[in-house]
Amino acid sequence: MERVVGRILFAGVSVSVCCLAAGLLWQWASIGQPRFDYELPHTHIARFLLGELTAVVHGRVSPARLINLGILALLLTPYLRVVLSMVYFVAIERNYKYGIITGFVGTILTYSLFSR
Amino acid sequence: LTIGALFLVSILAGFVGAIGGMGGGIVLIPALTWFGVDIKHAIAISILSVIATSSGSAAAYVRDGLTNLRLGMFLEMFTMLGALAGAALAVSLPSRLLFFLLGTVLLCSAALLWARRKEEWKPPDSQDSLSRWLELEGIYLDHATGGAIEYRAIRAHLGGPLMFLAGMVAGLLGIGAGALKVLIHDLIMKLPPKVSTATSNLIIGVTALAGASVYLAQGLLLPGLAVPVILGVVAGAFLGTRVLVKLPNRVVHRVFFFLLLILGTEVIVRGIRKTP
Repeated sequence: MERVVGRILFAGVSVSVCCLAAGLLWQWASIGQPRFDYELPHTHIARFLLGELTAVVHGRVSPARLINLGILALLLTPYLRVVLSMVYFVAIERNYKYGIITGFVGTILTYSLFSR
Repeated sequence: LTIGALFLVSILAGFVGAIGGMGGGIVLIPALTWFGVDIKHAIAISILSVIATSSGSAAAYVRDGLTNLRLGMFLEMFTMLGALAGAALAVSLPSRLLFFLLGTVLLCSAALLWARRKEEWKPPDSQDSLSRWLELEGIYLDHATGGAIEYRAIRAHLGGPLMFLAGMVAGLLGIGAGALKVLIHDLIMKLPPKVSTATSNLIIGVTALAGASVYLAQGLLLPGLAVPVILGVVAGAFLGTRVLVKLPNRVVHRVFFFLLLILGTEVIVRGIRKTP
């Protein structure tokens, strides 16, 4: 359990940091300074994620898009941790008590991803 | 406001957050407002920094066996419900009074910790039935003493509802309230200081995430600030985790005491400055 959770958190943070650093360097190389003056879309996290993924699938990649993906990876790391812990508690440890507890936390978190 | 200065401040914020079991808000919010960033934007970025400190430090603490995952997940239920309740109430309650109340709680807790500064942590004699049913116990290898330390949490029936209150304060005031969580682990549930810090670091991530969507939807998260802050905080948090595992529990307690003093004063000053 500890190993799985530790790896999820480490992977999430690594992806986030890599996206942010790459976006920053790209921006620096293209406009000569590491600045970002755009705004993020005024919407909840779920739609933000959907919008960015659609853009990437259509091959639209830019420094700002990498930054957005980095921020999203950071936001979704704790979420993934909760969801995968629930799966682990139920499927591997057969600890239904904690399966229910993490399921509850996961439900509230899912709801909060849509709140605005 | 240069990106380099932001990065350095964020390293400090992540470092302090990882050692104190809180987000970097205690450092970041005053520093950003001092740089001339609007307080609303500063709070939104601080929410992001809490998630970064939490995931960055918890990744290491979980691997080191310092975080008690079951305790964290049990308490997350309460703190998240509290955060949602707090966010819903935020418009109708006088936040000035709340800042004073929170400041007083933090300073009183600091006084309590100071009074007990000579006591070393020792495991409680017996565990109540609810805490035992929830399997709230653990063992970790203390790098400072070289020995394995066994512990059991007690009073889960008090810890849960108090965590709800801590989550509510976080939702109401837009702060991480990690300090309150460490206090509950420490004073009520009798966890060893390092486990208190590490487990609080795990919990603050989901509490902050529950509020993050609202800040994003209101357009308060500025990517120009977010990039250097996240990168700095993650680096600082990583450094912090390497230091914490080596510190004796007594020193962890002492550091936390000073952080409480600073935070309590800061919160009261914010209450005074706020126009009602």
